[in-house]
Amino acid sequence: MNCASYDWKAYALGELGQEDRRHAEAHAAVCAICREELATLRLTIETLSKLPDEEMPRRIAFVSDKVFEPRWWQVFLRPSFAAACVIAAAILAHAFVRPAAAIDSAALQTQVDSAVTKAVAQVEKRHYEETQQLLAAYDLLSKQFARMYAINTGMVRQ
Amino acid sequence: MIFREVEDRDLIAKARRGDVEAYNLLVSRWEKRVFNYLLRLVSNREDALDLSQDVFLKAYQNLPKLDDVERFPAWLFRIGHNEAFSLLRRRRPEGDLAQEPRTSQPGARLLPIELSLAVESALRRLGEDQREAVLLKVYQGFKFDEMAEILGCPVSTVKSRLYTALHLLKTTLAPMVSREES
Repeated sequence: MNCASYDWKAYALGELGQEDRRHAEAHAAVCAICREELATLRLTIETLSKLPDEEMPRRIAFVSDKVFEPRWWQVFLRPSFAAACVIAAAILAHAFVRPAAAIDSAALQTQVDSAVTKAVAQVEKRHYEETQQLLAAYDLLSKQFARMYAINTGMVRQ
Repeated sequence: MIFREVEDRDLIAKARRGDVEAYNLLVSRWEKRVFNYLLRLVSNREDALDLSQDVFLKAYQNLPKLDDVERFPAWLFRIGHNEAFSLLRRRRPEGDLAQEPRTSQPGARLLPIELSLAVESALRRLGEDQREAVLLKVYQGFKFDEMAEILGCPVSTVKSRLYTALHLLKTTLAPMVSREES
């Protein structure tokens, strides 16, 4: 192979495969012209690569900006949103199916029953008292009637 | 090799699901490289910064369309290439490209200032396509096939642009460096 068949630029840029590199190096070892060409290329690339990167004057505006906001449906995929949904669901479920609700209903029923019993007793007592008053009034009127009847018939003097 | 606790592909997968913090981290990993690539392409810091912003916005919006997450770097720089050349085409009617490109404001320099200026000057003297080929290969370390993907052209075209650029840079820079070293 002659000198023109070696791709020294690809060699210097690290683009040759292992086999091609080995052949090129074997040739350079015996060819001063190719060695000089390779040395000049390496020096050029080395000089270029020493140019330092510049620092950024300011950071790129990050995704907290509006333009980076996720699409509306992506909001539903956020872990924080999912966690909020779970908590809300738990609160609702607790409100509807909690065992304490049954206990409260029984207690309330007991209170209602007690109140009803008490009210019935009060009504019955009042009825009893009214009945006793009526009986007493009836008894009194009966006695008065008997007395008046006796007077009228002359059996009893006034 | 720099160890990364979370790989880019994991961040991309999370960002696709709407995890903005994952995308934030991805941006912080790549913004400096993208910025410097664009800066050396358009030779203006503010333009490079605006373009970088656009690149990451478009990348975020089009992330679901990225077929192979392993190709993310080439895909990201492809967006950068399109954005940069869109700007360069808009500049062209104003005659900006016919003039000497604006120099970037110098930041911290590791090399003597004269040598850095010489390298920047040599890069600016290249054609846009040739300069971009050098930027992608020498400064960003892309392989020929990745460069072809970024530039949207065959590998043979990539090699042609890069080799021409290297030939020109060699004739410009090598004597200068040799003189300094001697």
